[in-house]
Amino acid sequence: MAANKKPQLPKSVLDMKFMKKTKERIEKELENTQDIEGLYSNIITSEMRHASGNYISESSFIYCEDLIEGRLSFKGMNPEIERLMESENKKYNSDEGSEMQKDVSDDILCKKMDSLKKRKWSASPGKCEIKRKKNK
Amino acid sequence: MKISIGDVALPGDYCEEICEVAEKSKVIIGPGLRKEADRVYITKPGVLKKRSPCTYWVDSYQKRYVPSRGENIIGVVVQKAGDIFRVDVGGSITAALSYLSFEGATKKNRPEVQVGDVVYAKMLVASKDMEPELVCVDSHGKKGRLGVLTDGFVFKCSLNLIRKILNPSCPLLESLKNEWPFEVAAGMNGRIWIKANSMRETIAVGNAILGAEYLNDEEIKTMCNNIAAILAGHVS
Repeated sequence: MAANKKPQLPKSVLDMKFMKKTKERIEKELENTQDIEGLYSNIITSEMRHASGNYISESSFIYCEDLIEGRLSFKGMNPEIERLMESENKKYNSDEGSEMQKDVSDDILCKKMDSLKKRKWSASPGKCEIKRKKNK
Repeated sequence: MKISIGDVALPGDYCEEICEVAEKSKVIIGPGLRKEADRVYITKPGVLKKRSPCTYWVDSYQKRYVPSRGENIIGVVVQKAGDIFRVDVGGSITAALSYLSFEGATKKNRPEVQVGDVVYAKMLVASKDMEPELVCVDSHGKKGRLGVLTDGFVFKCSLNLIRKILNPSCPLLESLKNEWPFEVAAGMNGRIWIKANSMRETIAVGNAILGAEYLNDEEIKTMCNNIAAILAGHVS
């Protein structure tokens, strides 16, 4: 449980002047949660808290058996439905098939990006100088 | 009694394999399974099935539809009540279908749905204690495959058969789809709607679907070939 605790601000920060409101709010929150836990502690057992655990219940077969959509049309009976089926098939096939064909190979992209980065770095100080001159 | 995957299961049996997996990772327990105390119990008679990575369910024979969220169903409009239609879906009570949940429907522009119409709709709300709610649009407001089914022929079958023909590995629709033009809508509530150009073709599709219930994949293929041959007039 300790792992998923909310991140908290350090005490030194909360003691600062401008954090007064936040500090009050956090204290209030803490009080509230403690109260709630105290209120229902005799009703809510630890078993109830960990009841769901790793189980996800699903009441429908469509997710269990991975069924297809139930509305189908063949040989041009209903063009509207067939268009939908086709677009879905395409999506399915592209997901399954290999990656998109590349116009630019990874190596070339890497080199190009490197050179671009260098150019950016070398360009940016220059720009600053120009701006400064203008300010003067 | 303790059982494992692939066994015939009866209500009250439990499966320890699921519990062991659940200690390490999340598991999905589908219809017919229930987590009670520290065991997973079976609540329906059938065969315990598993799909990788960790989905478990009981494949049971059933004819009564129990609404569950996200399923597409075929219903018959039985009543217009103010701003909702009451739709018979074969469940314990009728489902509600708002007239606003059709594509392009507004308060002024009501969809043309009459009592007795057959609709293909999605279950939006299906809880134990409430009336189920249907919609005929997706989350983008598009009708997609849903809506009123005009013409055609509706018949009932077991819920298993619907699951069988909608399974991606089932050869039934695959072997019929190149034979003659037809349209089919299968509702998870055990109703099938078919539309074809002639009565003969409609009946042929219907018979093929109903005949597939207790056949294996090979038998389904030969049956479809036979039906296609008869319809084409090669065999009388």
